[in-house]
Amino acid sequence: MTETEAVVFIVDDDAPMRQSLKNLLRSIGLRAELFASAQEFLQSKRPDLPGCLVLDVRLPGLSGLDLQRRTAEAGIDIPIIFITGYGDIPMSVRAMKAGAVEFLTKPFRDQDLLDAIQQALERDRKARDQRAAIELLRSRFESLTPREREVMVRVVAGLLNKQIGGELGTSETTVKIHRHQVMEKMGAGSLAELVRMADRLGLPVPKS
Amino acid sequence: MPNGSVKFLRVMGRPSEDGSSNFEFVGAVTDITDRKRAEEELHQKEVSLHEAQTELAHVRWLTTMGELAASIAHEVNQPLAAVVNNGSACLRWLAAQNLEEARQSAALVVAEGHRAGEIIRRIRTLAKKTPPQKDWLDLNETIDEVIAMASSEVQQNRVSLQTELADDLPLILGDRIQLQQVILNLLINAVEAMAGAGESPRELGVSSRKASELPTREPNSLQIGELERETLERKNLAEVEWTHVLVAVRDSGPGLDVKNVDPLFKAFHTTKPKGLGMGLAISRSIITAHGGRLWATPNTPRGAIFQFALPIHEERMS
Repeated sequence: MTETEAVVFIVDDDAPMRQSLKNLLRSIGLRAELFASAQEFLQSKRPDLPGCLVLDVRLPGLSGLDLQRRTAEAGIDIPIIFITGYGDIPMSVRAMKAGAVEFLTKPFRDQDLLDAIQQALERDRKARDQRAAIELLRSRFESLTPREREVMVRVVAGLLNKQIGGELGTSETTVKIHRHQVMEKMGAGSLAELVRMADRLGLPVPKS
Repeated sequence: MPNGSVKFLRVMGRPSEDGSSNFEFVGAVTDITDRKRAEEELHQKEVSLHEAQTELAHVRWLTTMGELAASIAHEVNQPLAAVVNNGSACLRWLAAQNLEEARQSAALVVAEGHRAGEIIRRIRTLAKKTPPQKDWLDLNETIDEVIAMASSEVQQNRVSLQTELADDLPLILGDRIQLQQVILNLLINAVEAMAGAGESPRELGVSSRKASELPTREPNSLQIGELERETLERKNLAEVEWTHVLVAVRDSGPGLDVKNVDPLFKAFHTTKPKGLGMGLAISRSIITAHGGRLWATPNTPRGAIFQFALPIHEERMS
């Protein structure tokens, strides 16, 4: 586990509470950054690392649930663990429905929090990996020439070289050369793999 | 009646003489059973309405107590959670044989334990009305501290704040924290009263000065300023015996219903949707415990003035 390469953002208006959480996280080698309000968190420049948010529900100004909505609206994709001073079932249902990892009532068992944090960080790492993989595919796709893209779209749609040649008004041999280039540039080892890539890029592929 | 039911009759009559020696009564007998029954039903309804209201009041009281308990629970939970976190961290540091970090964590546990105790102590003070912790203090300083605390509230609600603090204020004997609570309560009330008052100018004034006499009973109809001017005309300024320090918080909100001032100070009376209705009741009991008075008057041209007077103690005056 690469714990040093992750960061836990803690938003709680109570300074000793923030410090105690940081102390707890430090004791297992996790890095924590502290914020006294939702606004402070939104305005901060956050390191580009796998992370998660430990968020108090009751905050002055924007509440924790408001912040959850704001991050979603702003496209900040970060897993959230809620902590609250008093258990409130409707509130926790709302938070969980909106995608929270966990909802803990203070005081909580340290292991419950640490488990939730590990789970949240794992979720963020996966999401980040996925975003990076799609980013890579997209840049590869963008490196294709316009003609190669036309060929790729038709290959993954299941057309034969001859049909593609007919549609584009080129010979079958030329289509073959383009097709080879596409496989090469996209880094696809097989047609099936290319179809999967096209699917992830949102290109139309026939449903099997 | 033969079938055992009861009928209500109304009998009216008056004697009449027809000139001869015959004496007769002329009158009417009315069956009012239906009316009587309707009246009884109405009465029954009133009784159950009253019961419902009593019950509602009780539910409201329970809800309020529930809210109060929730906010106390929140207050105490905070240090408690910090104790648990720091304690857990301490165990982990010990397991890692990092004694210095473990020592610091243990110190934090102790500090947070004290913080929880302090909160409990404050709540108990509030509940048991133990005598306040009195010190000599400059009320102007207390006012300034509170203004600093409330400044974000004041700004957020676009309220313009003016202070007029007398610079010759004698020190008074009082509990700083409790008096802060009172002033903060009055300030926040004023700000909230104006926040609901549309787009009219929101002016908040806080003033302090010495006073030589206080309105005795019904202060509602009396402007303390006028009363004092009269007194001053009669006496030479140097001879005036200052008895009180007066702090007033004026707002330009919707103001008060003059006939309805007293309920404001009752516990659980609130005009705010989220209020506990404890603020003014607690404030008044704090001021009373200081030997002072807290009252409300209408402001001109509109709004309210909440002010309190605290006695000046002689031993410090000379």
